[in-house]
Amino acid sequence: MSLTRRDLLIGSAALVGGASVSTPFFLPKYHFDQRPKRSRVAVLHADQYCQKLSQILWEGLRVFSINVRGKKVVLKPNLVDYLPGSAINTHPMLVVAAAEAFRRLEAKSVVVAEGPGHQRDTQLVLSRSGYQESLRGEKLRFIDLNRDELIRTPLRASYTGMKELWLPRTVLEADFLVSMPKIKTHHWSGVTLAMKNMFGIVPGARYGWPKNILHWKGIEESILDLCATVSVHFVIADGIIAMEGNGPLNGAPRLLERIVLADDPVAADATCARLMGFDPGRIAHIREGACFLGNAVPELIDQVGETVRPLATPFREVPEFVKLYAF
Amino acid sequence: MIPSDLSAELIRRQLPCGGWSALAASAQAALEPTCYSVLALGSQATDVRDRGYSFLVHAQNPNGSWPAFAGDDHDGSWVTSLVAIALRDIVPSIPARLKGLHWLLSSAGKEGNWLWKWKFRTADRHVRFDPDKFGWPWFPDTVSWVVPTAFAALALNQLPCSCGGFDLAQSRVDRGVQMLIDRACPGGGWNAGNGVVYGAAVAPHPDDTAIALLALCDRQQEPVVQASLNYLERTAPALTAPWSLAWAILAFAAHGRPTALLRGSLLTFPDLSYLEDTSTLALVCLALDHEHASTKLGVTI
Repeated sequence: MSLTRRDLLIGSAALVGGASVSTPFFLPKYHFDQRPKRSRVAVLHADQYCQKLSQILWEGLRVFSINVRGKKVVLKPNLVDYLPGSAINTHPMLVVAAAEAFRRLEAKSVVVAEGPGHQRDTQLVLSRSGYQESLRGEKLRFIDLNRDELIRTPLRASYTGMKELWLPRTVLEADFLVSMPKIKTHHWSGVTLAMKNMFGIVPGARYGWPKNILHWKGIEESILDLCATVSVHFVIADGIIAMEGNGPLNGAPRLLERIVLADDPVAADATCARLMGFDPGRIAHIREGACFLGNAVPELIDQVGETVRPLATPFREVPEFVKLYAF
Repeated sequence: MIPSDLSAELIRRQLPCGGWSALAASAQAALEPTCYSVLALGSQATDVRDRGYSFLVHAQNPNGSWPAFAGDDHDGSWVTSLVAIALRDIVPSIPARLKGLHWLLSSAGKEGNWLWKWKFRTADRHVRFDPDKFGWPWFPDTVSWVVPTAFAALALNQLPCSCGGFDLAQSRVDRGVQMLIDRACPGGGWNAGNGVVYGAAVAPHPDDTAIALLALCDRQQEPVVQASLNYLERTAPALTAPWSLAWAILAFAAHGRPTALLRGSLLTFPDLSYLEDTSTLALVCLALDHEHASTKLGVTI
């Protein structure tokens, strides 16, 4: 059988067509590999929210060679809503302790910034959750990221297919951004930790309450695009009282008695997931983040402080995420 | 009566472009605070209001919608409803307002589409709601939420008739009202969206509840409305933030409930004129002038 010129043309066209359709699926969706060679994580024991936190955190931070002298530090806690008796938000005492530590490290300025995802009345969340009083006592400025000035920002990854987002000036102009998540399970993404905490920088005034566009574009995909675009320089995760079950709002408080510090958000999230009893490799955004944002495997993480031991009873998850358990 | 220092501060915050920014320190004009500000300022600030109206008209997108802030993309946002309310009595802006209301009629929550309706009926049942009852999204290409639906219903209810291509307006408003009733929290009041998520009843928010109640002030016979008013009456006296308290006062005024004590509480908040959030400052002014505010917001008592 001989190939005619027509066969060859049709074959070539089919090949080119097939390649152009399938190539995007095989190309990486990130534009830069931002992984450090090694990452450092410290797991600190803290059994309650009290004045001792400042000392615990200060000693933990000294393990890292953080240089924030003359820099603008932005602390980004997880402040979503307020329900009495719940463990939704990063505790304000931990935020204040972090601010004290960065001031001691001679930061030029330290501000607390967040855009609550569910509540439009940011001041109500601040006052009910104890933030207003704590921040006022320490003369710490709070910036409502839902209403901050916005800058059109090209995304540095293409998981969602969005080309750009409008993001707050305060975050984009920060020299040192600290993600301060509450360690929680999440009924749509399995867990919400340092990376997912970045949803709070997406402004409600532009994208609504909640930031529904991120749900429609894919939660994991949005986490990856955001973390690729806005660098998290440090993580201080609040796991003293964490949340399990139907998080991020209606779960049950879970005593974990840990604070996790890290110089890499992926390493922080992988470590927190292990502390919760999950396999980080089964959490989509941590697994994919480990390809370009940071390190998730223990071999690339220098672990200081307490060792990560499996819990006798792992965190409870909603049925869709029991697949995350590390056993 | 609005304390003069509050209205003076609101006037002082107007940007050279005629708009107002969301936060006092910002120079980026945003549509939501601008709408509340022009609604709040009385006749003593005619020049200021006129510059505000002019800013609003010039900020309109080519498709008739309004953006969230000056310089935003042109795909439109929920503030289109607010601008239509703010421009209601301004004769020169009638064409712009009608164009905006036409855009609003073409905008709908994503669950209004048959494909997503099917998805929410069959595959995605964690969020309990009836997708046949849909309203308006914050921004195109997302589902309906309580606040944008309430404002759209308020804006469209101000149309004097269904002529000029608005024959669908009443049915859209009715459907939006049904959506609000469907998404209420089990004990009354509203959260941002659904009342039940993953089998758990979510807690109502005072401001979302108050805004929904403004849109439902002609549905006082609905048990959901009564339960929500009761929730808000229990909650409002203990509110620790002026934004929510101001909205609660406006809702009570629209429903003929007493507001004197709450207005007194609002005035006791320290440093009201130093509020960083301009929308809150303007809303406080509106709430303290509640007799006129309901009319300004388009509520028929």
